[in-house]
Amino acid sequence: MTLYGRRRLTNAVILALSFVATAMGLLVLFLILGTLLVHGVPALGTALFTQITPPPGGRGGLANAIYGSVVMTVVATLAGTPVGVLTGTYLAEFGRGSAIASVVRFINDILLSAPSIVIGLFVYEVMVVPMGHFSAWAGAVSLAIIVVPVVVRTTENMLLLVPAGLREAATALGAPRWKVIVAVIYRAALQGMLTGVMLAVARIAGETAPLLFTALNNQFFSPNMNAPMANLPVVIFQFAMSPYADWQLLAWAGALLITVAILVLNVLARWIASRSIATQ
Amino acid sequence: MTAIAEPTAVRGRMRRQRLADALFRNTTRAFAIGVMALLFAVLGALLLGAMPAISAFGFSFLWTSAWNPVKSVFGALPAIYGTLVTSAIAMLLAVPVGLGIAMFLTELCPPWLRRPIGTLIELLAAIPSIIYGIWGLFVLAPVLQMTVQPFVVDTLGNIPLVGVLFAGPPLGLGVLTAGFILAVMVLPFVASVTRDVFQTVPAMLRESAYGMGATTAEVVRRIVLPYTRVGVVGGIMLGLGRALGETMAVTFVIGNAHRVSASLLAPGTTISATLANEFTEAVGDLYAPALIELGLILFVITFIVLAAAKLLLLRLESRDAK
Amino acid sequence: MNIEVAPRAAAEPAPTHARGRLAVPSVPADKPRPAADAAPKVVIKDLHFYYRAFEAVKGINLALHDKRVTAFIGPSGCGKSTVLRCLNRIYELYPEQRATGEVLIDGENILDAGQDLNLLRARVGMVFQKPTPFPMSIYDNIAFGVRLYEKLSPQDLDARVEEALRRAALWDEVKDKLKQNGLSLSGGQQQRLCIARAIAVKPEVLLLDEPASALDPLSTQRIEELIAELKTDYCIVIVTHNMQQAARSSDYTAFMYLGELVEFDETEALFTHPKMRQTEDYITGRFG
Repeated sequence: MTLYGRRRLTNAVILALSFVATAMGLLVLFLILGTLLVHGVPALGTALFTQITPPPGGRGGLANAIYGSVVMTVVATLAGTPVGVLTGTYLAEFGRGSAIASVVRFINDILLSAPSIVIGLFVYEVMVVPMGHFSAWAGAVSLAIIVVPVVVRTTENMLLLVPAGLREAATALGAPRWKVIVAVIYRAALQGMLTGVMLAVARIAGETAPLLFTALNNQFFSPNMNAPMANLPVVIFQFAMSPYADWQLLAWAGALLITVAILVLNVLARWIASRSIATQ
Repeated sequence: MTAIAEPTAVRGRMRRQRLADALFRNTTRAFAIGVMALLFAVLGALLLGAMPAISAFGFSFLWTSAWNPVKSVFGALPAIYGTLVTSAIAMLLAVPVGLGIAMFLTELCPPWLRRPIGTLIELLAAIPSIIYGIWGLFVLAPVLQMTVQPFVVDTLGNIPLVGVLFAGPPLGLGVLTAGFILAVMVLPFVASVTRDVFQTVPAMLRESAYGMGATTAEVVRRIVLPYTRVGVVGGIMLGLGRALGETMAVTFVIGNAHRVSASLLAPGTTISATLANEFTEAVGDLYAPALIELGLILFVITFIVLAAAKLLLLRLESRDAK
Repeated sequence: MNIEVAPRAAAEPAPTHARGRLAVPSVPADKPRPAADAAPKVVIKDLHFYYRAFEAVKGINLALHDKRVTAFIGPSGCGKSTVLRCLNRIYELYPEQRATGEVLIDGENILDAGQDLNLLRARVGMVFQKPTPFPMSIYDNIAFGVRLYEKLSPQDLDARVEEALRRAALWDEVKDKLKQNGLSLSGGQQQRLCIARAIAVKPEVLLLDEPASALDPLSTQRIEELIAELKTDYCIVIVTHNMQQAARSSDYTAFMYLGELVEFDETEALFTHPKMRQTEDYITGRFG
């Protein structure tokens, strides 16, 4: 074969492989979604949302787990978002070029990818041990710690996208710094910051490891934040690893619920983000 | 002719404005420093919690295999080994596939398909660990047990040196399966970062390579990859950081055996899987501290990998800025 | 308005007075000459400006008069926008930029360290090259600056907003859609919105940084008409790279080159009898 022929063959092979790689990636995605649908849909029904987790071999639903997940996610988001927004504001507005800002940014990116189980251990050490018991508060705190770096990153990026002209125009009218930021810049970056929060929620919706040592689990419905609280991920963990068919069915249903919620949030966030960039 | 009111009212307002500005600025800075302090707090809390185990076992903790809660003898070697090996398998599988996907998206894919496929790949990254875990347990492991693993044992298992890696009964669960699942989880990260980095190559550079008659594969191999080398490595290391810390996916399929086996098909454990399985039942003076020490080791390993990745990427950014 | 655009002349030693075939932006014949003025509103003394170590403005001295339009012209990079931005110290947003010297507004040096910047900017308004409407309703855009410093009743605020929009020749076009987002307006309308926003706070000095350069010719004409009307109330400083615009709209013109003030004179004098060779070269199109 000529040199040119060999080159063409190599090219064709490599390109084919890259196509196969992409197909494999997409295949896995559809396989996972398909499995979830096949196993989870049969368990869907009103009972899922109205009845609490049953004892082994019993029939029931996931009501207490859903409630717990929602409550802890909401609390974590409410706690973590202001911290993230203010820190992101510092990085974008006040800290430009300063050493502190560079270090904070560096550390934030490390926290962003840190193993969530270690975060769970940390909250165990500083909350569960002193308090003497597991609690939903501790669970929410561990989730909040995961929310913060995500919101910091997206807030900083979105604030930096705001055109300098807007900042100058508001300053040129005599507005004090804080007003320029709060009344004009936040407003301009609002959609982007919102997508950051949505992505953070999507991230913590499925987190299991940190909840293992903080909120633990609860067989019953308990709105008491100061005690262990049921939540979807830990219930799925427990039920899926068990040998009981009923439990496993509920685990699949829970997995389907979480995945759908996360995918919807992701797609929605991306759509909003693309729209906000288009109007710049 | 300005509409602004008389001097004293103005001075009062100005002073309030300055105060508000200072308050806002200092509040944001306080939170920023708080985020920074969080990292050190985590490190500190872990150190504190692990102290009993650290003083009891010293450095030998890192290379001891024994794991006996009853006798309070703990060694981290199986967990560390498992963490490193599963991550290595994951990277070996995910990096070529991820690069392939990135290459497909930037060079081969028709423009109108790029966004959708890119989004789908990123959705893979959004799927939480636990979903991968149960999928791995109920779907992937049985499939591997029935098809791939017997095949591997029969073929690769017979090769003199390498065969040791693939010996043993095909259980489905084990280090190899865990590595597979991790590879699927890390794949979208590597693919996304690599694709983003590939897109930073100036169009003119690629066009001049094509203009000389280079094939697509050659352009990627000789122009795009060298140009984006630092970014790609950074992305790979970020993926590695992820793989090292993954918990739920691994816990479901690794088999949870505190053993260091030569064969990849054997069950094993990782740091995170050990923690997930045993922490809530850890009684005794040294059990919990030993587990926390494991967590500390994991944190340090991931910190080093992530910090190195970040520094590499920073170097890339500063080079581009010049 | 009679603007003659003649083809460029061949290279020849040019006489000190521009004549004949050379292209010179002509000053309208019916333009009134500015009267001899009292004390100037703004006095610039020995102003230097630095971007890090680079000296962009190299010691200029200048006086600007109230109720007059002063135009700054010159090629790109000559420092004219930089000088403008010294007058409201907007450069303070960027730590690597600094100015030395004195800028006296009504006798007060605004470059002084003790000068309150927000107060300064309430007295010295600025309109930028690119229209920058805030992401809020048209009404809120105009009211933004007013609300910063004054407590007006809703009726008074309405009146102020209407007055600003009328003076900016935008009222008729937006009076029915005051609640609509400012971004929904066309480019020319957005720029007039920014002008209305700037004059709503009743500043003493109005700075215009190439206000029409991003706009189509029709909008540009309307902006120039606006400037002619506004000048009865404000000290206006306009930076432009459009010499015809400077010739049409301004009473005084300053020509800058490479950070230095080459010539400053009444507009008619500068364009018909430039005293410096560089000025003449520039206005006849030999460079820039």
